[in-house]
Amino acid sequence: MVAIEVNGLTKDYGNVRAIESLSFAVEDGEVFGFLGPNGAGKSTTIRTLMGFQSPTDGGATVLGHDITDQSAMIEAKRQVGYIPAEMGFDEGVTGKRFLRYQASLKGDTRSEELLELFDPPMDREIGEYSTGNKRKLAVVLAFMHDPDLVIMDEPTSGLDPLMQERFYEFIRGEQAKGTTFFFSSHILSEVQKICDRVGVIRNGHLVELEDVETLLERGGKRVSVHVAESVEAGAFAIEGAHDVSVTGDEQSAQPTAADGSGDDPSTESEDAPSGGRDGTSVSFTYTGDYNALLSHLIGYDVLDLDIEDAPLEDVFMRFYGEVDPDREPSTVGRQANV
Amino acid sequence: MFEVARYESERKLVLGATIAIAASFYGAMFVALSPAYSNFDIEAIFSDFPQQFTEGFGLAAFNTLPGLLAVELYQFGWILVLGLYLAYTAAGLVAGDIETGRMDTLLPAPISRMRLVGEEFLSMLVPILAVNAITPIVLYVGSVLIDEPLDVTNLVALHALAVPYLLCCAAVGFALSVFLANESLAQNASVGVLVVAFLVETVFIGTDLEFLGVLTPMNYFDPTEILVNANYDLAGAGILLAAAVVLVLAGQWRFGRMDIQ
Repeated sequence: MVAIEVNGLTKDYGNVRAIESLSFAVEDGEVFGFLGPNGAGKSTTIRTLMGFQSPTDGGATVLGHDITDQSAMIEAKRQVGYIPAEMGFDEGVTGKRFLRYQASLKGDTRSEELLELFDPPMDREIGEYSTGNKRKLAVVLAFMHDPDLVIMDEPTSGLDPLMQERFYEFIRGEQAKGTTFFFSSHILSEVQKICDRVGVIRNGHLVELEDVETLLERGGKRVSVHVAESVEAGAFAIEGAHDVSVTGDEQSAQPTAADGSGDDPSTESEDAPSGGRDGTSVSFTYTGDYNALLSHLIGYDVLDLDIEDAPLEDVFMRFYGEVDPDREPSTVGRQANV
Repeated sequence: MFEVARYESERKLVLGATIAIAASFYGAMFVALSPAYSNFDIEAIFSDFPQQFTEGFGLAAFNTLPGLLAVELYQFGWILVLGLYLAYTAAGLVAGDIETGRMDTLLPAPISRMRLVGEEFLSMLVPILAVNAITPIVLYVGSVLIDEPLDVTNLVALHALAVPYLLCCAAVGFALSVFLANESLAQNASVGVLVVAFLVETVFIGTDLEFLGVLTPMNYFDPTEILVNANYDLAGAGILLAAAVVLVLAGQWRFGRMDIQ
Protein backbone atom coordinates (compact mmCIF):
# COMPACT_ATOMS: atom_id res chain seq x y z
CA MET A 1 0.00 0.00 0.00
CA VAL A 2 1.12 3.55 -0.57
CA ALA A 3 0.83 6.03 2.26
CA ILE A 4 0.52 9.05 0.02
CA GLU A 5 -0.29 9.06 -3.67
CA VAL A 6 -0.21 12.33 -5.57
CA ASN A 7 -1.61 12.56 -9.08
CA GLY A 8 -1.16 15.67 -11.17
CA LEU A 9 -1.68 17.86 -8.12
CA THR A 10 -2.00 21.52 -9.07
CA LYS A 11 -2.78 24.51 -6.89
CA ASP A 12 -3.28 28.10 -7.99
CA TYR A 13 -3.59 31.11 -5.72
CA GLY A 14 -5.50 33.48 -7.94
CA ASN A 15 -3.16 34.05 -10.86
CA VAL A 16 -0.16 32.50 -9.18
CA ARG A 17 0.46 28.83 -9.80
CA ALA A 18 1.99 27.48 -6.60
CA ILE A 19 2.41 23.86 -7.63
CA GLU A 20 1.87 22.25 -10.98
CA SER A 21 1.10 18.66 -11.92
CA LEU A 22 2.94 17.03 -9.06
CA SER A 23 2.88 13.25 -9.20
CA PHE A 24 4.65 10.96 -6.78
CA ALA A 25 3.98 8.29 -4.22
CA VAL A 26 5.25 7.76 -0.71
CA GLU A 27 5.49 4.08 0.12
CA ASP A 28 4.41 2.61 3.42
CA GLY A 29 7.20 2.71 5.95
CA GLU A 30 9.59 5.00 4.13
CA VAL A 31 11.00 8.34 5.10
CA PHE A 32 10.39 10.66 2.20
CA GLY A 33 12.08 14.03 2.08
CA PHE A 34 10.48 16.83 0.16
CA LEU A 35 13.28 19.15 -0.69
CA GLY A 36 13.38 22.59 -2.16
CA PRO A 37 14.23 26.21 -1.53
CA ASN A 38 11.84 28.61 0.18
CA GLY A 39 8.84 29.42 -1.98
CA ALA A 40 9.21 26.30 -4.12
CA GLY A 41 5.77 24.99 -3.18
CA LYS A 42 6.61 22.60 -0.34
CA SER A 43 4.15 24.06 2.14
CA THR A 44 1.45 24.39 -0.51
CA THR A 45 1.79 20.69 -1.26
CA ILE A 46 1.68 19.75 2.40
CA ARG A 47 -1.32 21.96 3.16
CA THR A 48 -3.17 20.52 0.20
CA LEU A 49 -2.36 16.98 1.30
CA MET A 50 -3.65 17.80 4.79
CA GLY A 51 -6.92 18.99 3.27
CA PHE A 52 -6.43 22.59 4.48
CA GLN A 53 -7.00 23.75 0.93
CA SER A 54 -8.46 22.07 -2.10
CA PRO A 55 -6.44 21.41 -5.24
CA THR A 56 -7.15 23.42 -8.37
CA ASP A 57 -6.58 20.32 -10.43
CA GLY A 58 -5.48 16.74 -9.95
CA GLY A 59 -5.80 14.92 -6.68
CA ALA A 60 -4.17 12.83 -4.02
CA THR A 61 -4.87 10.22 -1.41
CA VAL A 62 -3.54 10.06 2.12
CA LEU A 63 -3.64 6.57 3.65
CA GLY A 64 -6.07 5.69 0.90
CA HIS A 65 -8.44 8.59 1.63
CA ASP A 66 -9.25 11.18 -1.02
CA ILE A 67 -7.95 14.57 0.17
CA THR A 68 -10.95 16.41 -1.27
CA ASP A 69 -13.42 14.27 0.64
CA GLN A 70 -13.72 15.91 4.06
CA SER A 71 -15.34 13.05 5.89
CA ALA A 72 -12.76 10.63 4.47
CA MET A 73 -10.02 13.01 5.60
CA ILE A 74 -11.41 13.00 9.14
CA GLU A 75 -10.87 9.24 9.12
CA ALA A 76 -7.38 9.67 7.70
CA LYS A 77 -6.45 12.24 10.33
CA ARG A 78 -6.97 9.71 13.10
CA GLN A 79 -3.83 8.05 11.78
CA VAL A 80 -1.92 11.13 10.68
CA GLY A 81 0.40 13.27 12.77
CA TYR A 82 1.23 16.77 11.61
CA ILE A 83 3.91 19.26 12.54
CA PRO A 84 3.02 22.69 11.12
CA ALA A 85 5.63 25.17 9.94
CA GLU A 86 4.15 27.88 12.13
CA MET A 87 3.20 26.76 15.59
CA GLY A 88 0.31 29.06 16.50
CA PHE A 89 -0.53 27.35 19.75
CA ASP A 90 -2.78 29.15 22.22
CA GLU A 91 -0.51 31.53 24.06
CA GLY A 92 -2.61 31.92 27.17
CA VAL A 93 -2.80 28.28 28.25
CA THR A 94 -0.16 25.99 29.69
CA GLY A 95 1.42 23.28 27.58
CA LYS A 96 -0.30 20.77 29.82
CA ARG A 97 -3.76 22.22 29.18
CA PHE A 98 -3.22 22.38 25.44
CA LEU A 99 -2.02 18.80 25.40
CA ARG A 100 -5.15 17.77 27.28
CA TYR A 101 -7.27 19.58 24.69
CA GLN A 102 -5.52 17.86 21.79
CA ALA A 103 -5.85 14.54 23.59
CA SER A 104 -9.61 15.04 23.82
CA LEU A 105 -9.73 15.65 20.06
CA LYS A 106 -7.54 12.87 18.74
CA GLY A 107 -6.62 10.56 21.59
CA ASP A 108 -3.41 10.09 23.52
CA THR A 109 -1.57 6.81 23.86
CA ARG A 110 2.02 7.89 24.34
CA SER A 111 2.44 11.49 25.40
CA GLU A 112 4.16 10.51 28.67
CA GLU A 113 6.90 8.67 26.85
CA LEU A 114 7.27 11.53 24.36
CA LEU A 115 7.47 14.14 27.10
CA GLU A 116 10.41 12.29 28.62
CA LEU A 117 12.21 12.41 25.29
CA PHE A 118 11.37 15.96 24.27
CA ASP A 119 10.67 17.85 27.45
CA PRO A 120 8.91 21.16 26.77
CA PRO A 121 8.05 23.05 29.99
CA MET A 122 4.48 21.80 30.27
CA ASP A 123 3.54 23.83 33.35
CA ARG A 124 4.40 27.14 31.72
CA GLU A 125 2.11 29.14 29.47
CA ILE A 126 2.84 28.54 25.80
CA GLY A 127 3.20 32.29 25.28
CA GLU A 128 6.46 32.10 27.26
CA TYR A 129 7.88 29.28 25.14
CA SER A 130 10.94 29.70 22.95
CA THR A 131 10.69 28.50 19.36
CA GLY A 132 12.61 25.38 20.33
CA ASN A 133 10.18 24.59 23.12
CA LYS A 134 7.21 25.15 20.83
CA ARG A 135 8.83 22.78 18.37
CA LYS A 136 9.23 20.16 21.07
CA LEU A 137 5.58 20.54 22.03
CA ALA A 138 4.63 20.23 18.35
CA VAL A 139 6.56 16.96 18.13
CA VAL A 140 4.79 15.57 21.18
CA LEU A 141 1.41 16.63 19.79
CA ALA A 142 2.12 15.09 16.40
CA PHE A 143 3.03 11.69 17.79
CA MET A 144 0.83 11.41 20.87
CA HIS A 145 -1.90 9.39 19.13
CA ASP A 146 0.66 7.01 17.62
CA PRO A 147 -0.02 7.84 13.95
CA ASP A 148 0.85 5.62 10.99
CA LEU A 149 1.88 8.56 8.85
CA VAL A 150 3.54 11.76 9.98
CA ILE A 151 3.59 14.83 7.77
CA MET A 152 6.00 17.53 8.83
CA ASP A 153 6.63 21.00 7.45
CA GLU A 154 10.27 21.85 8.20
CA PRO A 155 10.14 20.07 11.54
CA THR A 156 13.61 20.79 12.89
CA SER A 157 13.81 24.54 12.39
CA GLY A 158 14.29 26.09 15.81
CA LEU A 159 15.58 22.91 17.47
CA ASP A 160 19.10 23.01 18.84
CA PRO A 161 21.58 20.57 17.25
CA LEU A 162 21.41 18.17 20.17
CA MET A 163 17.62 18.04 19.99
CA GLN A 164 17.81 17.68 16.20
CA GLU A 165 19.97 14.58 16.60
CA ARG A 166 17.55 13.19 19.15
CA PHE A 167 14.72 13.88 16.73
CA TYR A 168 16.48 12.10 13.85
CA GLU A 169 17.16 9.14 16.08
CA PHE A 170 13.52 9.15 17.15
CA ILE A 171 12.40 9.17 13.51
CA ARG A 172 14.62 6.22 12.70
CA GLY A 173 13.15 4.35 15.65
CA GLU A 174 9.61 5.16 14.58
CA GLN A 175 10.37 4.11 11.04
CA ALA A 176 11.62 0.77 12.33
CA LYS A 177 8.19 0.36 13.95
CA GLY A 178 6.54 0.96 10.59
CA THR A 179 5.68 4.65 10.64
CA THR A 180 5.81 6.50 7.34
CA PHE A 181 7.25 10.01 7.14
CA PHE A 182 6.71 12.75 4.63
CA PHE A 183 8.51 15.93 5.42
CA SER A 184 9.68 19.07 3.78
CA SER A 185 13.10 20.49 4.36
CA HIS A 186 15.66 22.78 2.93
CA ILE A 187 18.34 21.36 5.17
CA LEU A 188 20.25 18.93 3.03
CA SER A 189 22.30 17.20 5.69
CA GLU A 190 19.06 16.35 7.45
CA VAL A 191 17.66 14.72 4.35
CA GLN A 192 20.89 12.86 3.79
CA LYS A 193 20.79 11.53 7.34
CA ILE A 194 17.28 10.18 7.56
CA CYS A 195 15.58 9.93 4.18
CA ASP A 196 15.14 6.88 2.02
CA ARG A 197 13.94 8.87 -0.93
CA VAL A 198 13.87 12.48 -1.92
CA GLY A 199 11.57 14.52 -4.10
CA VAL A 200 13.07 17.78 -5.22
CA ILE A 201 10.66 20.59 -5.94
CA ARG A 202 11.40 23.94 -7.43
CA ASN A 203 9.07 26.62 -8.74
CA GLY A 204 6.14 24.30 -8.15
CA HIS A 205 7.49 21.49 -10.30
CA LEU A 206 8.84 18.18 -9.17
CA VAL A 207 12.26 18.15 -10.76
CA GLU A 208 13.68 15.00 -9.28
CA LEU A 209 12.54 11.89 -7.50
CA GLU A 210 15.35 9.68 -6.35
CA ASP A 211 16.78 7.43 -3.70
CA VAL A 212 19.12 9.47 -1.62
CA GLU A 213 21.85 7.08 -2.79
CA THR A 214 21.04 7.57 -6.46
CA LEU A 215 21.04 11.28 -5.95
CA LEU A 216 24.48 11.03 -4.36
CA GLU A 217 25.63 8.73 -7.14
CA ARG A 218 24.46 11.17 -9.71
CA GLY A 219 26.20 13.80 -7.67
CA GLY A 220 29.41 11.82 -8.06
CA LYS A 221 32.41 11.60 -5.76
CA ARG A 222 34.49 14.12 -3.99
CA VAL A 223 38.07 13.41 -5.10
CA SER A 224 41.04 14.81 -3.21
CA VAL A 225 44.45 13.89 -4.51
CA HIS A 226 47.87 14.94 -3.30
CA VAL A 227 50.64 14.56 -5.85
CA ALA A 228 54.38 15.14 -5.61
CA GLU A 229 54.85 17.24 -8.71
CA SER A 230 53.45 20.66 -9.43
CA VAL A 231 50.30 20.70 -11.47
CA GLU A 232 49.15 23.12 -14.13
CA ALA A 233 45.83 24.73 -13.42
CA GLY A 234 44.18 23.11 -16.41
CA ALA A 235 45.70 19.66 -15.97
CA PHE A 236 42.64 18.17 -14.31
CA ALA A 237 40.12 19.55 -16.76
CA ILE A 238 39.19 16.01 -17.66
CA GLU A 239 35.69 14.95 -18.59
CA GLY A 240 33.43 14.60 -15.54
CA ALA A 241 35.51 16.75 -13.19
CA HIS A 242 33.78 19.80 -11.74
CA ASP A 243 34.91 22.61 -9.48
CA VAL A 244 38.58 21.72 -9.77
CA SER A 245 40.77 23.43 -7.23
CA VAL A 246 44.55 23.19 -7.34
CA THR A 247 46.65 24.25 -4.36
CA GLY A 248 50.44 24.28 -4.40
CA ASP A 249 51.05 24.08 -0.69
CA GLU A 250 49.50 21.11 1.05
CA GLN A 251 49.04 23.01 4.32
CA SER A 252 46.54 25.31 2.67
CA ALA A 253 44.92 22.60 0.63
CA GLN A 254 41.29 23.30 1.29
CA PRO A 255 38.58 22.54 -1.19
CA THR A 256 37.00 25.71 -2.41
CA ALA A 257 33.58 24.23 -2.87
CA ALA A 258 31.09 25.16 -0.16
CA ASP A 259 30.30 21.66 0.93
CA GLY A 260 29.55 22.61 4.53
CA SER A 261 30.02 19.04 5.72
CA GLY A 262 31.93 18.07 8.80
CA ASP A 263 34.21 15.43 7.33
CA ASP A 264 36.38 17.50 5.11
CA PRO A 265 38.44 15.33 2.79
CA SER A 266 41.43 17.67 2.94
CA THR A 267 41.99 16.92 6.62
CA GLU A 268 42.81 13.36 5.74
CA SER A 269 45.17 14.35 2.98
CA GLU A 270 47.20 16.17 5.59
CA ASP A 271 47.91 12.86 7.28
CA ALA A 272 49.68 11.79 4.11
CA PRO A 273 53.21 10.44 4.60
CA SER A 274 54.56 13.29 2.59
CA GLY A 275 57.17 14.14 5.23
CA GLY A 276 57.05 17.82 4.46
CA ARG A 277 57.85 17.28 0.80
CA ASP A 278 56.46 19.87 -1.57
CA GLY A 279 53.49 18.79 -3.54
CA THR A 280 50.18 19.81 -4.97
CA SER A 281 46.68 19.17 -3.72
CA VAL A 282 43.93 18.86 -6.25
CA SER A 283 40.30 18.40 -5.35
CA PHE A 284 37.20 18.21 -7.47
CA THR A 285 33.82 16.57 -7.79
CA TYR A 286 33.87 13.71 -10.25
CA THR A 287 30.92 12.32 -12.13
CA GLY A 288 32.75 10.68 -15.03
CA ASP A 289 34.10 7.17 -15.67
CA TYR A 290 36.40 5.81 -12.93
CA ASN A 291 38.79 4.18 -15.39
CA ALA A 292 39.36 7.47 -17.11
CA LEU A 293 40.12 9.07 -13.74
CA LEU A 294 42.55 6.31 -12.78
CA SER A 295 44.36 6.43 -16.13
CA HIS A 296 44.73 10.16 -15.68
CA LEU A 297 46.13 9.77 -12.16
CA ILE A 298 48.67 7.15 -13.26
CA GLY A 299 50.67 9.93 -14.88
CA TYR A 300 51.38 11.44 -11.42
CA ASP A 301 53.26 10.46 -8.35
CA VAL A 302 50.24 10.11 -6.09
CA LEU A 303 51.02 10.66 -2.40
CA ASP A 304 47.49 10.50 -1.11
CA LEU A 305 44.13 9.86 -2.61
CA ASP A 306 40.73 10.24 -1.07
CA ILE A 307 37.48 9.48 -2.86
CA GLU A 308 34.16 9.79 -1.09
CA ASP A 309 30.51 10.62 -1.71
CA ALA A 310 29.96 14.21 -2.57
CA PRO A 311 27.99 15.95 0.14
CA LEU A 312 24.38 16.42 -0.87
CA GLU A 313 24.93 20.15 -0.60
CA ASP A 314 27.30 20.00 -3.56
CA VAL A 315 24.96 17.79 -5.50
CA PHE A 316 22.10 20.03 -4.80
CA MET A 317 24.00 23.16 -5.53
CA ARG A 318 25.01 21.96 -8.95
CA PHE A 319 21.51 20.72 -9.46
CA TYR A 320 19.99 24.11 -8.75
CA GLY A 321 22.94 26.09 -10.00
CA GLU A 322 22.33 24.87 -13.51
CA VAL A 323 18.77 26.07 -13.51
CA ASP A 324 18.79 29.34 -11.64
CA PRO A 325 22.27 30.33 -10.65
CA ASP A 326 21.47 33.74 -9.20
CA ARG A 327 19.12 32.65 -6.49
CA GLU A 328 19.26 29.07 -5.40
CA PRO A 329 22.93 28.56 -4.58
CA SER A 330 22.91 31.31 -1.99
CA THR A 331 19.77 29.94 -0.38
CA VAL A 332 21.11 26.43 -0.30
CA GLY A 333 24.52 27.50 0.91
CA ARG A 334 23.10 29.48 3.77
CA GLN A 335 20.58 26.88 4.86
CA ALA A 336 23.15 24.15 4.75
CA ASN A 337 24.84 25.62 7.80
CA VAL A 338 21.72 25.63 9.94
CA MET B 1 -18.69 15.73 21.40
CA PHE B 2 -18.29 19.34 22.57
CA GLU B 3 -14.58 19.03 23.35
CA VAL B 4 -13.94 22.20 21.38
CA ALA B 5 -16.82 24.07 23.02
CA ARG B 6 -15.65 23.00 26.47
CA TYR B 7 -12.08 24.11 25.88
CA GLU B 8 -13.06 27.38 24.22
CA SER B 9 -15.59 28.13 26.96
CA GLU B 10 -12.95 27.60 29.59
CA ARG B 11 -10.73 30.11 27.81
CA LYS B 12 -13.58 32.66 27.90
CA LEU B 13 -14.35 32.33 31.61
CA VAL B 14 -12.15 35.28 32.52
CA LEU B 15 -13.72 37.37 29.77
CA GLY B 16 -17.20 36.40 30.99
CA ALA B 17 -16.39 37.22 34.60
CA THR B 18 -14.86 40.57 33.65
CA ILE B 19 -17.85 41.65 31.59
CA ALA B 20 -20.28 40.52 34.28
CA ILE B 21 -18.45 42.39 37.02
CA ALA B 22 -18.10 45.55 34.92
CA ALA B 23 -21.78 45.48 33.95
CA SER B 24 -22.80 44.86 37.56
CA PHE B 25 -20.83 47.84 38.84
CA TYR B 26 -22.16 50.02 36.07
CA GLY B 27 -25.75 48.93 36.80
CA ALA B 28 -25.31 49.27 40.57
CA MET B 29 -24.16 52.82 40.03
CA PHE B 30 -27.49 53.72 38.41
CA VAL B 31 -29.44 51.95 41.12
CA ALA B 32 -27.57 54.03 43.69
CA LEU B 33 -28.17 57.25 41.74
CA SER B 34 -31.81 56.58 40.92
CA PRO B 35 -33.38 58.26 44.03
CA ALA B 36 -31.90 61.52 42.78
CA TYR B 37 -33.59 61.11 39.39
CA SER B 38 -37.15 60.58 40.65
CA ASN B 39 -38.11 64.13 41.55
CA PHE B 40 -38.26 65.99 38.28
CA ASP B 41 -40.92 66.69 35.71
CA ILE B 42 -40.00 64.37 32.88
CA GLU B 43 -42.69 65.68 30.52
CA ALA B 44 -41.38 69.20 30.78
CA ILE B 45 -37.78 68.24 30.21
CA PHE B 46 -38.19 65.92 27.26
CA SER B 47 -41.10 67.67 25.50
CA ASP B 48 -38.71 69.67 23.31
CA PHE B 49 -36.52 66.66 22.46
CA PRO B 50 -36.87 65.09 19.03
CA GLN B 51 -39.01 61.99 18.84
CA GLN B 52 -36.04 59.97 17.56
CA PHE B 53 -34.24 60.76 20.79
CA THR B 54 -37.00 60.20 23.32
CA GLU B 55 -38.38 57.10 21.64
CA GLY B 56 -35.09 55.77 20.31
CA PHE B 57 -33.50 55.88 23.71
CA GLY B 58 -36.71 55.04 25.58
CA LEU B 59 -36.64 58.16 27.73
CA ALA B 60 -40.38 58.05 28.60
CA ALA B 61 -39.91 56.54 32.04
CA PHE B 62 -36.57 58.08 32.90
CA ASN B 63 -37.72 59.14 36.37
CA THR B 64 -38.32 55.59 37.62
CA LEU B 65 -35.66 53.00 38.44
CA PRO B 66 -36.78 50.57 35.69
CA GLY B 67 -36.95 53.45 33.21
CA LEU B 68 -33.54 54.74 34.19
CA LEU B 69 -31.96 51.29 33.96
CA ALA B 70 -33.67 50.61 30.64
CA VAL B 71 -32.05 53.69 29.14
CA GLU B 72 -28.70 53.99 30.80
CA LEU B 73 -27.82 50.37 31.39
CA TYR B 74 -29.70 48.42 28.74
CA GLN B 75 -30.19 50.75 25.77
CA PHE B 76 -26.65 51.90 26.05
CA GLY B 77 -24.80 49.12 27.86
CA TRP B 78 -26.52 46.05 26.45
CA ILE B 79 -27.73 47.04 23.01
CA LEU B 80 -24.73 49.10 22.01
CA VAL B 81 -21.66 48.33 24.08
CA LEU B 82 -22.19 44.62 24.75
CA GLY B 83 -23.62 44.00 21.30
CA LEU B 84 -20.64 45.64 19.63
CA TYR B 85 -18.14 44.06 21.95
CA LEU B 86 -19.44 40.54 21.43
CA ALA B 87 -19.58 41.05 17.67
CA TYR B 88 -16.02 42.35 17.78
CA THR B 89 -14.85 39.36 19.82
CA ALA B 90 -16.64 36.86 17.60
CA ALA B 91 -15.12 38.51 14.54
CA GLY B 92 -11.72 37.44 15.81
CA LEU B 93 -12.72 33.80 16.22
CA VAL B 94 -12.00 32.43 12.76
CA ALA B 95 -10.09 35.16 10.94
CA GLY B 96 -7.78 35.60 13.93
CA ASP B 97 -7.11 31.88 14.24
CA ILE B 98 -6.20 31.67 10.57
CA GLU B 99 -3.87 34.65 10.81
CA THR B 100 -1.98 33.47 13.88
CA GLY B 101 -1.60 29.96 12.50
CA ARG B 102 -3.66 28.65 15.39
CA MET B 103 -6.02 27.04 12.90
CA ASP B 104 -3.10 24.92 11.67
CA THR B 105 -2.84 23.39 15.11
CA LEU B 106 -6.55 22.50 15.17
CA LEU B 107 -7.32 21.37 11.62
CA PRO B 108 -5.11 18.25 11.84
CA ALA B 109 -7.49 16.93 14.50
CA PRO B 110 -10.01 14.37 13.27
CA ILE B 111 -13.09 16.55 13.60
CA SER B 112 -15.09 18.30 10.91
CA ARG B 113 -14.46 21.93 10.18
CA MET B 114 -18.14 22.75 10.63
CA ARG B 115 -18.05 21.31 14.11
CA LEU B 116 -14.81 23.06 14.97
CA VAL B 117 -16.04 26.58 14.23
CA GLY B 118 -19.61 25.83 15.31
CA GLU B 119 -18.38 24.89 18.77
CA GLU B 120 -16.03 27.86 18.83
CA PHE B 121 -19.08 30.06 18.28
CA LEU B 122 -20.97 28.26 21.03
CA SER B 123 -18.28 29.32 23.48
CA MET B 124 -19.54 32.89 23.02
CA LEU B 125 -22.39 31.78 25.25
CA VAL B 126 -20.04 31.96 28.24
CA PRO B 127 -19.72 35.76 28.36
CA ILE B 128 -23.33 36.18 27.21
CA LEU B 129 -24.77 33.94 29.90
CA ALA B 130 -22.40 35.16 32.60
CA VAL B 131 -23.31 38.81 32.16
CA ASN B 132 -27.02 38.06 31.98
CA ALA B 133 -27.00 35.81 35.01
CA ILE B 134 -24.92 37.89 37.40
CA THR B 135 -26.01 41.46 36.62
CA PRO B 136 -29.76 41.02 37.40
CA ILE B 137 -28.94 39.55 40.81
CA VAL B 138 -26.75 42.52 41.69
CA LEU B 139 -29.38 44.95 40.40
CA TYR B 140 -32.18 43.28 42.32
CA VAL B 141 -30.24 43.26 45.58
CA GLY B 142 -29.38 46.91 45.00
CA SER B 143 -32.98 47.84 44.32
CA VAL B 144 -34.09 46.15 47.54
CA LEU B 145 -31.46 48.07 49.46
CA ILE B 146 -32.87 51.40 48.24
CA ASP B 147 -36.40 50.22 48.98
CA GLU B 148 -37.48 50.24 45.39
CA PRO B 149 -37.46 46.55 44.47
CA LEU B 150 -37.43 45.81 40.75
CA ASP B 151 -40.09 43.56 39.27
CA VAL B 152 -38.42 40.15 39.25
CA THR B 153 -40.39 38.82 36.29
CA ASN B 154 -39.54 41.79 34.13
CA LEU B 155 -35.91 41.64 35.14
CA VAL B 156 -35.62 37.93 34.39
CA ALA B 157 -37.51 38.37 31.12
CA LEU B 158 -35.22 41.17 30.06
CA HIS B 159 -32.08 39.15 30.62
CA ALA B 160 -33.58 36.07 29.03
CA LEU B 161 -34.57 38.06 25.94
CA ALA B 162 -31.15 39.74 25.87
CA VAL B 163 -29.54 36.35 25.13
CA PRO B 164 -30.98 35.97 21.59
CA TYR B 165 -30.13 39.61 20.87
CA LEU B 166 -26.50 39.24 21.95
CA LEU B 167 -26.18 35.88 20.20
CA CYS B 168 -27.37 37.55 17.02
CA CYS B 169 -24.76 40.31 17.40
CA ALA B 170 -22.03 37.71 17.98
CA ALA B 171 -23.27 35.77 14.95
CA VAL B 172 -22.84 38.88 12.79
CA GLY B 173 -19.21 39.05 13.90
CA PHE B 174 -18.71 35.33 13.42
CA ALA B 175 -20.08 35.34 9.89
CA LEU B 176 -17.93 38.31 8.92
CA SER B 177 -14.95 36.59 10.51
CA VAL B 178 -15.36 33.69 8.11
CA PHE B 179 -16.27 35.62 5.00
CA LEU B 180 -13.63 38.32 5.36
CA ALA B 181 -10.75 36.13 6.56
CA ASN B 182 -8.77 39.11 7.84
CA GLU B 183 -9.11 39.73 11.53
CA SER B 184 -9.02 43.51 11.74
CA LEU B 185 -11.21 43.89 8.68
CA ALA B 186 -13.77 41.49 10.15
CA GLN B 187 -13.69 43.26 13.50
CA ASN B 188 -14.10 46.71 12.02
CA ALA B 189 -16.80 45.52 9.66
CA SER B 190 -18.83 43.91 12.42
CA VAL B 191 -18.69 47.04 14.57
CA GLY B 192 -19.56 49.12 11.52
CA VAL B 193 -22.52 46.95 10.58
CA LEU B 194 -23.99 47.10 14.07
CA VAL B 195 -23.46 50.84 14.49
CA VAL B 196 -25.18 51.47 11.17
CA ALA B 197 -27.99 49.13 12.22
CA PHE B 198 -28.37 51.05 15.48
CA LEU B 199 -28.50 54.35 13.63
CA VAL B 200 -31.03 53.04 11.11
CA GLU B 201 -33.24 51.81 13.94
CA THR B 202 -32.94 55.09 15.87
CA VAL B 203 -32.68 57.91 13.35
CA PHE B 204 -35.51 56.83 11.07
CA ILE B 205 -38.13 56.73 13.83
CA GLY B 206 -41.16 58.77 12.75
CA THR B 207 -39.94 59.06 9.14
CA ASP B 208 -40.94 57.23 5.97
CA LEU B 209 -37.91 55.04 6.35
CA GLU B 210 -38.89 53.75 9.78
CA PHE B 211 -39.74 50.39 8.18
CA LEU B 212 -36.01 49.80 7.55
CA GLY B 213 -35.74 49.17 11.27
CA VAL B 214 -37.11 45.66 10.79
CA LEU B 215 -33.76 44.76 9.24
CA THR B 216 -31.88 45.56 12.42
CA PRO B 217 -31.51 43.33 15.46
CA MET B 218 -32.26 46.31 17.73
CA ASN B 219 -35.83 46.29 16.42
CA TYR B 220 -36.53 43.00 18.19
CA PHE B 221 -35.25 43.76 21.65
CA ASP B 222 -36.66 46.77 23.51
CA PRO B 223 -35.51 47.02 27.15
CA THR B 224 -37.90 49.87 27.96
CA GLU B 225 -40.93 47.90 26.76
CA ILE B 226 -39.89 44.91 28.86
CA LEU B 227 -38.82 46.68 32.02
CA VAL B 228 -41.38 49.52 32.12
CA ASN B 229 -44.42 48.12 30.30
CA ALA B 230 -43.91 44.38 30.81
CA ASN B 231 -44.31 43.73 27.08
CA TYR B 232 -42.25 40.74 26.05
CA ASP B 233 -41.54 40.43 22.33
CA LEU B 234 -41.21 36.66 22.12
CA ALA B 235 -41.63 36.64 18.35
CA GLY B 236 -38.80 39.17 18.16
CA ALA B 237 -36.61 36.89 20.23
CA GLY B 238 -37.47 34.06 17.86
CA ILE B 239 -36.47 36.19 14.88
CA LEU B 240 -33.15 37.10 16.50
CA LEU B 241 -32.43 33.48 17.31
CA ALA B 242 -33.32 32.40 13.77
CA ALA B 243 -31.10 35.12 12.32
CA ALA B 244 -28.23 33.99 14.57
CA VAL B 245 -28.69 30.40 13.46
CA VAL B 246 -28.73 31.39 9.78
CA LEU B 247 -25.59 33.49 10.15
CA VAL B 248 -23.73 30.76 12.02
CA LEU B 249 -24.78 28.11 9.51
CA ALA B 250 -23.66 30.34 6.64
CA GLY B 251 -20.33 30.83 8.37
CA GLN B 252 -19.93 27.11 8.99
CA TRP B 253 -20.85 26.29 5.42
CA ARG B 254 -18.32 28.73 4.06
CA PHE B 255 -15.59 27.65 6.48
CA GLY B 256 -16.14 24.04 5.46
CA ARG B 257 -15.21 24.89 1.88
CA MET B 258 -12.62 27.61 2.08
CA ASP B 259 -8.87 27.33 1.67
CA ILE B 260 -6.98 27.92 4.91
CA GLN B 261 -3.79 29.67 3.95
